[in-house]
Amino acid sequence: MGLRWYHFALWGAFIVGLALLPELVSKGTLRTIIFANYLAIFAISWDVLSGRTGYISFGHPFLIGIGAYTTAILTKRFDVPVEISIPVAVVVTMIGGLIVLLPALRVRGSYFAMITLAFMELMYQLVQVIRPDLTGGTRGMSGLPTLTRGAVNGFYLSAFLMVSVALSMWLLMRTRLGTALSAIGMNEESVRGSGLSATKLKMVAFLLSAAIAGLGGAFYVHYLGTIAPRALFEINFAFTIIVAALIGGASTIVGPVIGAFFLTLLLEYLRPVLPGAERYLIYGGVALLLYMYQPRGIYEIIQQGLARVRRSS
Amino acid sequence: MTEALTITNLVKRFGGLTATNDLSFTVADGESVGLIGPNGAGKTTVFSQIMGEHRQTSGSIKLYGEEITPLPTARRIRHGVSRTYQVPRPFAELSVAENIRVGLMHDNVWQMVLHGPDPDRELELALSVGFTEDDLKRTPAELSMGDLRKLEMARTMATGPKVMLLDEVFAGLTVGEIAQIGELIQQMRGDGMTFLIVSHDLKALEPLVERAIAINYGELIAEGSFARVIENEAVRASYLGDTV
Ligand SMILES: Nc1ncnc2c1ncn2[C@@H]1O[C@H](COP(=O)(O)OP(=O)(O)OP(=O)(O)O)[C@@H](O)[C@H]1O
Ligand SMILES: [Mg+2]
Repeated sequence: MGLRWYHFALWGAFIVGLALLPELVSKGTLRTIIFANYLAIFAISWDVLSGRTGYISFGHPFLIGIGAYTTAILTKRFDVPVEISIPVAVVVTMIGGLIVLLPALRVRGSYFAMITLAFMELMYQLVQVIRPDLTGGTRGMSGLPTLTRGAVNGFYLSAFLMVSVALSMWLLMRTRLGTALSAIGMNEESVRGSGLSATKLKMVAFLLSAAIAGLGGAFYVHYLGTIAPRALFEINFAFTIIVAALIGGASTIVGPVIGAFFLTLLLEYLRPVLPGAERYLIYGGVALLLYMYQPRGIYEIIQQGLARVRRSS
Repeated sequence: MTEALTITNLVKRFGGLTATNDLSFTVADGESVGLIGPNGAGKTTVFSQIMGEHRQTSGSIKLYGEEITPLPTARRIRHGVSRTYQVPRPFAELSVAENIRVGLMHDNVWQMVLHGPDPDRELELALSVGFTEDDLKRTPAELSMGDLRKLEMARTMATGPKVMLLDEVFAGLTVGEIAQIGELIQQMRGDGMTFLIVSHDLKALEPLVERAIAINYGELIAEGSFARVIENEAVRASYLGDTV
């Protein structure tokens, strides 16, 4: 896998930094960072599928939603304990997502994006009309069991999840599987021409992505204690995930984490200055500028910076 | 003699255009055959059908006696046939070593995860097509057309074929590179590889093949020793306007 000492050092520093964070920042900031952690998980999920293979998903909230609703319904309506409902939610997201999106994985480019977007919309409509006694209809659900009390514990749980997902995916994508998945994004025909089943590889990427989305979605609703379809199945949410991955650096796993933190903190610090929806304009502008300056994202900017430091020292 | 490749009554229509017209031929195990014909004769289309990238309209393709037409491309490659592309198709952001690595992978996700790459084999393949060790880190954007063809060749060899289909491997190469690839092919022939080679460069092709098959408008027009085929009236006529 080509691990070097500085990989250990950087991951170690990152984990230690996260562990010390509650000592360093206010409860309010910690709550913001909890959101950043979940956004990072969703952005990694997007990266594993779309960043790698080039099959751009606009409907990640669809997957997150399956996980979130599954555990919400199981715990709230059937009193299933979270130890069971969360794993079930992950599996249901993988299976549900696969049944729905497997046919879509045959079509490349904007079609795939459109189909995923359509499914997000469809899911939004469905949870409102089908069995509202279960889903809570338009209003969603509240009073779901929460796993932690207080910002500090919520932060630790989210950070633990995020680091586990990030580290495992980072390691996995450094194997030959990661190389094969990137190859799909570059030239799917040549992947077939190299004797590999592109369909199988895409399915693996999709299942990984769905599992992470389901896991993140499930833990996130148990953090919030509520589920609101309007906020969940929202195009802005889908965009935030994609933008986080892109400006951080797609296909790198670490990039989406950086992107998620950057975006969340940017939005947060703009809040006092621009309380309304204008914030999104600024964030769109910043994202666009960054993207124009370095399409490979912040990750690449950092790498180039490090390379320069190494050369000059 | 074992037949490596057996093509029988192959037909491919693209709408109204018949790109392969009732074509039948065989390539024996260990044999090297040239497939020639003017631009648009249908040579590449034959390759795409053998690999399953295009489905034939009708007809049969057998590899060592086994019908492969129902199989997807990846399975055909596992059965031992592999091709290069006329227009090289590298993985643009992977290094030379990683490009070859993809060719070396078996279609098994667990193996991809649990076993690391085989740098020795990657290097060996790269060297065999004429790369140097320093080239391993380069990306396709930094490669010349000749290098891209070498990479294409190395990745195709990496899949471990028994039968190799080479589509215009000499196009865009320098004289030195042509000699180098030619030597590699000769060496692989010595090791028992079976070849079907498409080339417009007949001079480079001649020493590499035992036999030639000429097609035009997707139809077989001549078959036999290389010299006989290029002397053939119909073949000469088909090449009018092209340079023989
Ligand atoms: N995908 C396709 N759709 C429609 N027509 C096609 C397609 N592929 C090839 N053809 C046509 O089929 C015929 C044979 O093309 P092919 O590429 O096989 O020829 P070729 O012998 O390889 O030519 P060249 O020497 O120029 O490479 C041509 O008339 C071409 O235009
Ligand atoms: Mg051709």
